[in-house]
Amino acid sequence: MTNSRRFWLAVAAPLGALVVAFIVTTLVLLLTGSNPFDAYAALGGAFKTPRIVVNTVNTATTYYLAAVAVAIGFKMNLFNIGVDGQYRLAAMLAAAFAGGAFMSGLPSVLRIILTLAAAMAVGAAWAGIAAFLKATRGVSEVISTIMLNAIATALIAYLLAPGRLAIAQGNNVLTQPITEGGYLPNIDIPGSSSQLYTLIFLAALVGLGYWWVLNRTVFGFSIKATGLSETSAVASGISVKRMVVSAMLLSGAIAGLVGMPELLNGDTHAYSLNFPAGIGFTGIAIALLGRNHPVGMVFSALLWSALDSSSNSLQGAGVPKELVTIMQGVMLFAVVIAYEVVRRYRLVLEQKAVARTLAAARTTGDPNEVAAR
Amino acid sequence: MTVRIERNGSRRFRAAALAGTAALALVLSACGSDNNAGSGTTSAPTSAPTSESPAATSESPAATSESPAATGSGAPPAVEMTGDKAAVKVGMAYDVGGRGDQSFNDSAARGLDKAKAAGVTIVNEIEATATDTDAQREDRLRQLAEGGANVVIAVGFAYEPALAKAAPDYPDVHFAIIDDATLCDPAAKGGPVKNVACLTFAEEQGSYLVGVAAALKSKTGKIGFVGGVNTPLIQKFQAGFEAGVKATKADDTVTPKYITEPPDFSGFNDPGKGETIAKGMYDGGSDIVYAAAGGSGAGVFKAAKAAKGWGIGVDSDQYNAPTLSAVKDVILTSMVKNVDVAVWDDIAGAVNGKPLTGQHVYDLKVGGVGYATSGGFVDDIVPQLEAAKAKIISGEIKVPSTVG
Amino acid sequence: MAHPADPPPGDPVEPPPVTRGAGAPPAVQLTGITKRFPGVVANSDITFTVARGTVHALVGENGAGKSTLMKTLYGMHRPDEGSIEVDGRPVTFHSPADAIAAGIGMVHQHFMLADNLTVWENIVLGSEPVNGVRLDSRSAIDKIRALGTSYGLTVDPERLVESLGVGERQRVEIIKVLYRGAKILILDEPTAVLVPQEVDELFGNLRELKSEGLTIIFISHKLDEVRAIADEITVIRRGTTVGTADPKAVTNSQLAEMMVGSELPVPELRDSTVTDRVVLDLAGVTVVDGDGRPVLTDITAAIHAGEVLGIAGVEGNGQAELVDAIMGIRPISAGRVELAGVDVTKLSTLRRREAGIGFIPEDRHRQGLILEGTLWENRILGHQTRPPSARGFRLNRSGARKDTQRIVDEYDVRTPGIEVKANSLSGGNQQKLIVGREMSGDPVLLIASHPTRGVDVGAQAAIWEHLRRAREAGLAVLLISADLEELIGMSDTLTVILRGKLAGSYDPAAVTPEQLGIAMTGGDLGQVAS
Repeated sequence: MTNSRRFWLAVAAPLGALVVAFIVTTLVLLLTGSNPFDAYAALGGAFKTPRIVVNTVNTATTYYLAAVAVAIGFKMNLFNIGVDGQYRLAAMLAAAFAGGAFMSGLPSVLRIILTLAAAMAVGAAWAGIAAFLKATRGVSEVISTIMLNAIATALIAYLLAPGRLAIAQGNNVLTQPITEGGYLPNIDIPGSSSQLYTLIFLAALVGLGYWWVLNRTVFGFSIKATGLSETSAVASGISVKRMVVSAMLLSGAIAGLVGMPELLNGDTHAYSLNFPAGIGFTGIAIALLGRNHPVGMVFSALLWSALDSSSNSLQGAGVPKELVTIMQGVMLFAVVIAYEVVRRYRLVLEQKAVARTLAAARTTGDPNEVAAR
Repeated sequence: MTVRIERNGSRRFRAAALAGTAALALVLSACGSDNNAGSGTTSAPTSAPTSESPAATSESPAATSESPAATGSGAPPAVEMTGDKAAVKVGMAYDVGGRGDQSFNDSAARGLDKAKAAGVTIVNEIEATATDTDAQREDRLRQLAEGGANVVIAVGFAYEPALAKAAPDYPDVHFAIIDDATLCDPAAKGGPVKNVACLTFAEEQGSYLVGVAAALKSKTGKIGFVGGVNTPLIQKFQAGFEAGVKATKADDTVTPKYITEPPDFSGFNDPGKGETIAKGMYDGGSDIVYAAAGGSGAGVFKAAKAAKGWGIGVDSDQYNAPTLSAVKDVILTSMVKNVDVAVWDDIAGAVNGKPLTGQHVYDLKVGGVGYATSGGFVDDIVPQLEAAKAKIISGEIKVPSTVG
Repeated sequence: MAHPADPPPGDPVEPPPVTRGAGAPPAVQLTGITKRFPGVVANSDITFTVARGTVHALVGENGAGKSTLMKTLYGMHRPDEGSIEVDGRPVTFHSPADAIAAGIGMVHQHFMLADNLTVWENIVLGSEPVNGVRLDSRSAIDKIRALGTSYGLTVDPERLVESLGVGERQRVEIIKVLYRGAKILILDEPTAVLVPQEVDELFGNLRELKSEGLTIIFISHKLDEVRAIADEITVIRRGTTVGTADPKAVTNSQLAEMMVGSELPVPELRDSTVTDRVVLDLAGVTVVDGDGRPVLTDITAAIHAGEVLGIAGVEGNGQAELVDAIMGIRPISAGRVELAGVDVTKLSTLRRREAGIGFIPEDRHRQGLILEGTLWENRILGHQTRPPSARGFRLNRSGARKDTQRIVDEYDVRTPGIEVKANSLSGGNQQKLIVGREMSGDPVLLIASHPTRGVDVGAQAAIWEHLRRAREAGLAVLLISADLEELIGMSDTLTVILRGKLAGSYDPAAVTPEQLGIAMTGGDLGQVAS
């Protein structure tokens, strides 16, 4: 296979999926009596506003962290459905911790690091429960993480109450807001009322680390091997239980970071009733869309977040906001199908290529068959 | 009838979460299924300003359905628009669920529709999405302001951080926020935001009155409270209700239960769970249950009907809700919260050249909250209710707004 | 299981008229059959004629296209080109149901029987005889008995399938096909799962069927068997027919030459290299299954440097558990495993591999490879903590790539490069890659479980040669195989495993496959024990 062909195959699936999503969305618009041209114009027009672009990038930062957390599990066929509960609990406890009075006396850098570390520790610990159950009792992580999400919700509800870890403010309840020095400054963007979240650099670092661990370390190799063939991994001396526990802890630790941009870069500097929920599930969609690839997930997070951020503009143009949900859903569906089609096509291409190469080199009487068994 | 939570798989929770914020608010208004039917809802504000008139209670149910204002508490006085209506351009930012939620957002929309009918220009209406962040809410307010609106109304306290950031950038635009007073707090750092009006409701006062009604009507002395989602907003309902019951019959007990905990806001839209919880209460001996649970209230009433008990509605006069007609004969009364009045007042203030500023509490005194008499089930105890109401208005009774 | 669209059972008790001879049309006539799969042409212009009332063998090595051709005949897929005639009539099969309706039945290599049902229930499954709405068991059982009597296929219809031996299960499969009215039987590698004694029985049955006028297509690559049973042989190589042969006139080596274009490799060892240094020492190794039943009992054995210990046994008698116990994949409940004098009983699989165990697993797709990984990634597997694949906790990608290239060169892995995915290689080349990998890193013990299963003849010869070299290099080799020729030819010492116990050792120079077969099924064979 030539390099250019390889490249085109790699982008064929996402591009194809986008085209399918575009067609389906257009049909939906036509069927519901909206003008597709207006809708797409509004969609494109939204991103002429610098504020919306900045918001998109900021939200994508959060989404990307969630996607990486999910992808770590996906790489070894571990479905961490619990990223949602992990990040919410982590954000809530880290917010309460960071808002504590004792923090004010510490240097700013230390406060930030301690807050991030606390969030990661909580996320890892919460995921660790599912890991422990799976490793020792064989409990499916799908079941246990879903249940842990519910337990996290109940725990947060209990703790997020005045007199416990929170204070009341009007009809809202929130943790003690972090005082200055305990949160991060943002980056001014000319022409935009929104500022760029500085934790985007942390997200980039996480993405880089994800790539490095998976592709350059024995641990990452073991994770991938376990995901692709658990039986082969066992025969190769990889301890699947240990992999389950470490991957789950790592996934939980990254999940712990998901709420940090909103907490440390957002406006409220506290965990309140309005704290974004459900990002763990968005992370699953983005990891699927980006095929667990560190760069692929950057694009899928940006795309997802751009669609979310365009909702106001679409409504302004009279397009129902549900269009965004439809586009996201169709895209995800199309991508999953497109990748499977491309994957099979690639295998056939590769088998053909192997066959051709060998046929050319084959001497008479060489009994080797070329096709896969 | 409540927040319509998107059910598409993974996003559901998120949706619920955002919905939650909205929903809180919603709950207050819980289940105003009644008046959703568009223009039929036109009511108090447009009708001639009625003074509090106990006489209204004597009206037949048929009459009340045309005029929800005909509650025991009487309709609030409507502000008349006397200024240049064409000069006012309104932008509305709804909470999750938006128009059609048959509840909180719809109640706000009714106020807007009335203003529109009166000749005010509506620039745009934008709904929250289930995935909102503060930044997106802020963007919504800014888009409305930049789109030519000079009156922007944010429905739901979730808009508070967003409004705090956006409002100062548009000094010529008048903003209002429903259900939050933080921005109008004179004690706040830097003082209240000048171009923001905070429109809040004394839900605990209305809940106190229906609590009195429950205590007077209960035969078993056991009364239930079903909250949609366990948030401070719904706790206000609980606190007022319990106080009303206890003040009337000190030995009566109130069993409070919440359907879900935040950020799972599905408790505002889960009639099944509402029914299950209420059934447990009726089975346990309760004969009256107050449903402060948005759309889940329908389940509570269903359980009430099966158990031959009473239910108490919330937000709107639920006896008149078309979707609840099958169970209306068990709806003892409803705690009414008039969000549409607040919206109308805000717009009318702008039309009249006197935009509202600071906090406006819609309490019993101004008719922002009250109790409904439709069905005539509480006709015999109106004197006691009115007495309690008078004491609250006079300050003789201080209704707690927090539980415990 | 039976195809849901099976036609009602015909009346197999009455045999079809025997119409052998010049004028009669052939039972099956395939003309110009071509079948392409993505990337390969599986069958190319095949012409294949089977006379009625004969046993016709179809031989060819693994992957030559035998199964593809039979699937075409059985309606499991349609040919891209070519025509099929049955009894002189052109037919088009859209599904196996069509083939069954035309009187063609297939006995698969892997039995498709429900263990918890009786023989007759299995046979009627999918074509249940109904009397009103009631399942008519009586008539079914009678019919099966009649079938058994007329063809000499004796199985009690009322026994549970789980209580049957392999040979009996195969008879059930054959009766199942006959019950549905088949006149032409396709038997796909029927002897692969049988010990020699059972093979003889099967051949007796086949001759009986033939004498009753049925036609049998017999697929195999075991040349002795083919010559013993067939009336005519068709050889297929690389997807096309290379000719037919008369089994009475042709020799094994002539057949082999037709099959592979060269001589068949012979499994044999050179001079003994056995030393007195014990590499693997098993003492009282016992393994129990999840229910606490022993699956491996008190295994005591030793393999010396330069020695190949062959383990013979019917599959499922504890071979897999023995391998797992040595590899540390499955915990042992009693006993001790020593490797080169070191007690490794408590060590993990990884530590044992690092201590020098190489492992060629029985199922390379399940245990030996990451099919979706590249060749060099597969090179790392099992060696992920050791040079040249790793440097501390980091992978050494260039080291792994370089060493993969070495394996590809030294072990003659036919591939265009090391970046291709493992699943694009043929089975034989995959296996050569595994052998090369497991011979890397200076192993002291090589566990070779069915090392030549499902590989072509060329790869088979190469793998044997590598085993010989490993032995010469002083490795201890544990060889497990179902191919008795391979076991006898490649072992210095032979041990039979039966029901989880070692049941006697044999001298590979003296024992015959038949004798081994007796021992494997629990027969007494004292006189040839070494």
